[in-house]
Amino acid sequence: MTPLVSKETRTILTRRIKGFLDEFFHNKIGLVGLALLFMFVGTAIFAPWLSPYDPITAPRVAGKFAVPSWLTVFPQYKEYSSTMEVRPYWEVNETSEYANIQWGRSLVVNVNMSEEPKQGTVTLTADFSYLYNMPPEAFTLSFDLSTHNITNLWYSTKISLTNPQNNSTLIWSEPYTDQNMQSSVNAESTDYWLLRKLGYLDPTTTNIATLIFPQPTKGNYTLTFELSFRPTEDATSAGATLAIKNALFYIPGRSHGILGTDFLGTDVWTQLVHGTRISLVIGLLAAAISTSIGVLLGVLAGYSGGAVDETLMRLVDILICLPVLPLLLILVKLFGKNVFYIVLFIALFGWTGLSRVIRSQVLSIREAAFVESAVAAGAGRYYVMIKHIVPNVFPIALASLVLSVPGAILAEAGLSFLGFGDPRVPTWGKMLNYAFGHGAFENFAWWWTVPPGLAITLISLTFVFMGYAIDEIVNPRLRRRR
Amino acid sequence: MREYIIKRIAVAIIVLYVIASLNFMIFQVFAPVDPTATILDPNFTYDMRQQLLQDYGLLEPIYLRYVKYIRNMFTWNFGYSFDSRKPIIEELSWRVPNSVLLLGVSLIGTVMLGISVGVFAGARRKSAADVIAVGAGLFADGVPTFFIQMMALLFFSYLMFLWFGFQVFPARGLTSVPAPTNPFAYMADVAWHLAMPALTLILSAFGGWALYTRNMIVEALTQDYVVTARAKGLSERTVLYRHAFRSVLPPISTMIAMSVPGIFTGAMITEYIFTWPGVGSWYIAGLNSGNFPVVQSVLFIYAILMLIANLIADLLYGVLDPRIRVGFRR
Repeated sequence: MTPLVSKETRTILTRRIKGFLDEFFHNKIGLVGLALLFMFVGTAIFAPWLSPYDPITAPRVAGKFAVPSWLTVFPQYKEYSSTMEVRPYWEVNETSEYANIQWGRSLVVNVNMSEEPKQGTVTLTADFSYLYNMPPEAFTLSFDLSTHNITNLWYSTKISLTNPQNNSTLIWSEPYTDQNMQSSVNAESTDYWLLRKLGYLDPTTTNIATLIFPQPTKGNYTLTFELSFRPTEDATSAGATLAIKNALFYIPGRSHGILGTDFLGTDVWTQLVHGTRISLVIGLLAAAISTSIGVLLGVLAGYSGGAVDETLMRLVDILICLPVLPLLLILVKLFGKNVFYIVLFIALFGWTGLSRVIRSQVLSIREAAFVESAVAAGAGRYYVMIKHIVPNVFPIALASLVLSVPGAILAEAGLSFLGFGDPRVPTWGKMLNYAFGHGAFENFAWWWTVPPGLAITLISLTFVFMGYAIDEIVNPRLRRRR
Repeated sequence: MREYIIKRIAVAIIVLYVIASLNFMIFQVFAPVDPTATILDPNFTYDMRQQLLQDYGLLEPIYLRYVKYIRNMFTWNFGYSFDSRKPIIEELSWRVPNSVLLLGVSLIGTVMLGISVGVFAGARRKSAADVIAVGAGLFADGVPTFFIQMMALLFFSYLMFLWFGFQVFPARGLTSVPAPTNPFAYMADVAWHLAMPALTLILSAFGGWALYTRNMIVEALTQDYVVTARAKGLSERTVLYRHAFRSVLPPISTMIAMSVPGIFTGAMITEYIFTWPGVGSWYIAGLNSGNFPVVQSVLFIYAILMLIANLIADLLYGVLDPRIRVGFRR
């Protein structure tokens, strides 16, 4: 098998590449670009390890518009609580003689009255301390309640929260029932219907967190779970089994993580880190496609001449006059918001400038002696194009490849910002779109708007710097000037 | 001269034809819109629907509709907007001037700022001013327009209001509500509203210009004719402006033509951010609400504006460089 390139060619190629790298590593701007590129590629590769959450399911991790947690070192943010998750450890406070309580995977209350059924109460309490002098935005109590084997017994459940001033506030209740049930309780402090059901009829009461947590809010709070039961009329024996599982008292924080949270309470840092991946992929892919088209058509037009050249250049004339962004928007609307279509469309509008430059280069290379001798030796058209023309326009194509990455990244960011990005992938443009549309300004959430914008800027500058350096090395006109 | 005009007109007609055909393909062939689909009246019978479709001309064969569509587009017959029920041409007549105002001011501002910074930096090569100008230019080239605008909006409209109780620049719209009746006050009001969109657009677009001009000036200042001019004892000012600057103007005007699409793109997002009542924000609203007559006519108008801007840039090229003036015989 003959090798793809002869030994001589390989030597020349190696020397050229060595010379190129040598010059590149002495170019300060290029090195800065390279360092930034390494940073972004590293971030993209290690994104799952750098960010603690999944960007697709995007779990709520704190309150809305939570500030970055490192801000709490400043005095005005000192009292911004971080997210609190309390798993209540129930203590038995008051119990009826008929009830017995078992601790296992869950808390089980067995009621058994065989002789003389009576009324009774079981009260369980759990303490936790709140460390901040600022009331929380909201809180949620969630647990699974299941009851079995109910015989001749009515029972009701009631949960209240007692603050350090010893005021007890009802946060959840269930009226008397004699049915077996399996329910997942989720008592939110801002749940309108729950508040009305509990009897907070004052329409200004929309969040009982403000009622429960008075200034100063620091101190010990007690969660009280009250189970009352009474037998049905003329029952001779009664009994029931109640189980409470997975109890969790959750206070969404006002501060969270490295970059706070957005309007849904999801982590901004996660979105930012994962946005690196998609930006790099979109930029490089679109640039590669558009550069390939540009080189292919430029070489074809320049070397063929005649009707092919005329047709292609008129096509370029027309494409340059088309309004690109409106067309991109309409195409995305038509074909669906899919990231691969977006890349393809961006690439299809991006090759025109390069093909003109390549064509003019090819026009001069075509006249060179080595091409003429190749043709005289009987080389075919396509052989000459691939073996002699393309290697000579390769440096320009490389510079153009790098320099067209920022354009593609900015185009995709613009599309996403207008709400025409792929909804399934986390991109920086989409972050800015949500920030613009969902109150980042009104809440002054700079941690949500500034980082993605700076990231887009930096990743474009990375390629601008590198392209600038490569251009200076490979572009003969610029080279002479140095 | 005649050849040039014919070529220009041919390109213009082809571009408009391509856009119009694309519109037809998208909205009549690929994703046809049934205008009767939104009518939910129970008394709306099949016959009435057929009658309505007949009136709209939707029952005709597709090639006939295509011919009619192209004819309508080229005779400014754009139909009616779905939401306002007004003729599109009527709404365009007040929206297009708004867009042209924003576009014109930002294009002129970008050109002037970009060339000034470029010449300034190029004449002081390797000085601190040059390094700063190149850095600022590169940064402005990389930062997305909408990010600069969001930051400006956050700072001048929201934070200023939070801290001092007033907005340096208003956040949205063309005029205050209600608009002042005095014509001078009205103009001042529009200028006040125009300031932030136009300035941010200029700020984000001037970078490429400054870098390009700077490189051209640096190169021109090493040329023989500059050395000759200096040897003649001309002042550095004269050398810079009369000799070096004159010679770099033609390639710069090519840049105008090249940067026109970018400015158009930027202006569209700008209109969206600042709720500027131009064609760009109308287009995005139309796309989002499925108002297709608006979308297709605005796309057509955009193509026309692009063609005009390209033509102006081309003619400017001739004015600046007499050798390639249109119709000049070598």
